[in-house]
Amino acid sequence: MWKFIVRRLLITIPQIIILSIIVFILAQMMPGDALSGLIDPSIDPAAVEQQRERLGLNNPWYIQYVDWVGGILQGDFGQSFRFKMPVTELIGQRMVNTVLLSVVTLIFTYLIALPLGLISGRFNDTLLDQAITGYTYIGFATPLFIFSLFMLWIFGYNLGWFPTSGSVAPGTEPGTIAYWLSKVYHALLPGISIALIQVVSTVQYLRSEIIDTKQKDFIITARAKGAGEQRVYNKHIFRNSLLPIAAFFGWEITTLITGTVFVEKIFSYPGMGLLFLESITQRDFSVANSLVLLFGTAQIMGALLSDIILSIVDPRIRIK
Amino acid sequence: MKKASLSKLLLAMMLMLILVLAACSSGSDDNAEGDGGSDDGTEEGTDEGEGGSEDGIYSIDDFPAAKTDAGEAIDGGTLNYGLVNSSVFEGILNWNFYQGNPDAHVIQFFDESLLSADENFTYTQDGAATFETSEDNRTFTFTIGDNVNWHDGEPVTAEDWLYSYEIIGHPDYTGIRYDASFRNIEGMDEYHSGDADTISGIEVIDDKTLEISYKEAWPSLLAGGIWAYATPKHIFEDIPIAEMEESAEVRQNPIGMGPFKVESVVPGESVTYTANEDYWKGAPKLDGVTLTVVSPETVVQALESGEIDIAGGGFPTDQYPDVEESLTNVEFLGVIDNAYTYIGFKLGHWDADSSEVVTDPDAKMADVELRRAMWHAVDNNAVGERFYNGLRWNATTLIGPAYPDFYNDEVEAPTYDPDEANRILDEAGYEDVDGDGIRENPDGEELVINFASMEGGDTAEPIANYYIQAWEAVGLKVELLDGRLHEFNAFYDRVEADDPDIDIYQAAWSTGSDVDPSGLYGKEAPFNYSRYSSEENDRLIAEGNSEESFEVEHRQEVYKEWQELMVQDIPVFPTVYRAALTPVNERVTGYSAALDWSEWQEVGVTQEDPVLPE
Repeated sequence: MWKFIVRRLLITIPQIIILSIIVFILAQMMPGDALSGLIDPSIDPAAVEQQRERLGLNNPWYIQYVDWVGGILQGDFGQSFRFKMPVTELIGQRMVNTVLLSVVTLIFTYLIALPLGLISGRFNDTLLDQAITGYTYIGFATPLFIFSLFMLWIFGYNLGWFPTSGSVAPGTEPGTIAYWLSKVYHALLPGISIALIQVVSTVQYLRSEIIDTKQKDFIITARAKGAGEQRVYNKHIFRNSLLPIAAFFGWEITTLITGTVFVEKIFSYPGMGLLFLESITQRDFSVANSLVLLFGTAQIMGALLSDIILSIVDPRIRIK
Repeated sequence: MKKASLSKLLLAMMLMLILVLAACSSGSDDNAEGDGGSDDGTEEGTDEGEGGSEDGIYSIDDFPAAKTDAGEAIDGGTLNYGLVNSSVFEGILNWNFYQGNPDAHVIQFFDESLLSADENFTYTQDGAATFETSEDNRTFTFTIGDNVNWHDGEPVTAEDWLYSYEIIGHPDYTGIRYDASFRNIEGMDEYHSGDADTISGIEVIDDKTLEISYKEAWPSLLAGGIWAYATPKHIFEDIPIAEMEESAEVRQNPIGMGPFKVESVVPGESVTYTANEDYWKGAPKLDGVTLTVVSPETVVQALESGEIDIAGGGFPTDQYPDVEESLTNVEFLGVIDNAYTYIGFKLGHWDADSSEVVTDPDAKMADVELRRAMWHAVDNNAVGERFYNGLRWNATTLIGPAYPDFYNDEVEAPTYDPDEANRILDEAGYEDVDGDGIRENPDGEELVINFASMEGGDTAEPIANYYIQAWEAVGLKVELLDGRLHEFNAFYDRVEADDPDIDIYQAAWSTGSDVDPSGLYGKEAPFNYSRYSSEENDRLIAEGNSEESFEVEHRQEVYKEWQELMVQDIPVFPTVYRAALTPVNERVTGYSAALDWSEWQEVGVTQEDPVLPE
């Protein structure tokens, strides 16, 4: 298996290089640059031009690219044109928020998905199952951004149970317990909103997998041996039905850092997704490029992780 | 079994049919709208005009600029200030380095200009520093008040003020504030190029007195042209200038001399402030202020729930008609924004080598009569009423009513009069030769005018279409550039590069504190996107910033004359002025939305908790 992992990692290197070149060229082709938004009569265009020169924005793209890559090889992702701070520091700030939000989402997703999927699969075609599948169909049909707005309106503004924007209450001292509690509190509503919608595919997978498994011969054998119904479900069916979900898990990990643009926007939650969106609209290329590179790497790693997890949980799959 | 699969098949086919039909019908709807739009539009327009103005049409005159106090302020209390912005604030919390407007909102609470300004943005003697002007108007002597101190207790000194100039003029400076008014200081060029270690034109007389000598006497220096922000030298001294803007002293714990001290900053999201008891205008009434960023989509809910007391930084005025009734806990303040929207005519190009505008007498839009007719053809009051509920209204001159003493309200700008437009075009020789209802140019050739306009909001497209239809009504064929609206960066890229495909364009200017139009319409101004120039224009612009114009009356006369010239020559024509609305919770006292207002120490609240809607 190690051979496989090493080989996969080696393949990712040219993938990432090509990705970075494409991203860089696309970014260059967009009209305007980080300073072109400064169309303001109280700012001297000559001063802007001077800064453009200083930041190297007037150089041809390949020189800028070489500068950028050269920096990355030394661990320096450059300066954000807009925030005027190192990109790594900026991403670090946002990454904390996004990871927190994703963890909350993941916890809620599995907290909802596992029981629902189990019940619905075990008692399939009962009223209870129909109610659960009914929910999954509605979930499939509901766009996440509409649902989030709805949640924000009800639980944020009308009931006032949750904060409506930001990632932490103003004025809390970083590092204290109150600070982290406040951060979790701010991530709850967006996290639950995503989970309630995202969960539906997992529920469906689990349900059909369980229905499938419970008709298999080895289950009949287990029953014939006299195993109790509870034992049959918990030990034999559940374990075998988790395979597709385990495969999914690797992908879910990648969303830990990519974040979700829509939800972050609606909840004004400063995470990676929002940073990405803003860096594109504001032409903050150094940030946008670094983010795409990071996201791309995360995707490739996620795929790899999925394969590895799958090979661990399912001994039948052997990676050669 | 067979039957069941057949019925399933039928169901699937039905579903497909529904989809196809739905797609068709929505398509044809779109077409109908596109075709019939012009007829509907004009009919509705006249209906509304007759229907009376109380029906959803507002006027800036109905909005107070200052908050009506609803009782006595209590001792203390915390104000929640909502900064309306669709993204985070950058967090460059220092006047010398900030770029974006959101950051300016954050800084205003803890640091301020040493010089105060009046409603015309001219410096007064009421600020933290006073000044004297020499005989030849080239040397200014500033005296900082004795009671003006930094938040850490150190006095604000002349040395601190000089330090701001040394930062901005320095070759390593990373911001964008080094402009003509800095270059005008004696010795600044030498300092900026690194040939001199000090700025010879700025002299520290004593701890509290600073003298700045300029090469030329410019009246605009006194209208926001002096960099009046001091930098606490004892804090920044050891930080290299190139690294200042990323330092914690700028981002995490900045200090200033303003009414509030920064307590904590959550990057991009929120800032908490506490009162500065030692403030030179007296201790603030409030105990503190909490600033949070609120997105324009949810600002109304935040006001309704009392989460924020003031929505500053640009409340989306298009939401006002929807919430005016329901937000009973809020008073809406309104001021005339120092901005205008305009239609520009491309009259030449920018010569990068000589850095000046070259006006082309053969440009497609070079005929002033054509431009005048186009102004007469459009009804900007209707645009303001129909698209902005009256919160924008017909503009007449390029120096708007936001500058009360310079605004020329007697200017006879062309107004909506299609008959007059037709008459002018007939006289100028734009006749419909081939009888297709579209005028040809005086040489009998086809005349198609390309119109560039920016996307943004729901109204951008209908407004652009309205103008095109209004011009069509007088027989001018105007087409949207590439048949669509353009994104901000793409739009300015092409307008700036004098793309030959653009004949006219619609844009807006937010004018700065100085009334001087040279930055937008001068011959050497890159922002002069219409590329208009004339001798008279050069003369008036130079005159407006000459030594004689230190006499305010003279300056007013010159600029009023310039406004007349712009209405005569029409390189661009302003379409609408706009109102800026600021909703404020009823519990707030002493606040004003006026552009020149900065009396945060006077702001208080009448109760601990925000007033909620009844």
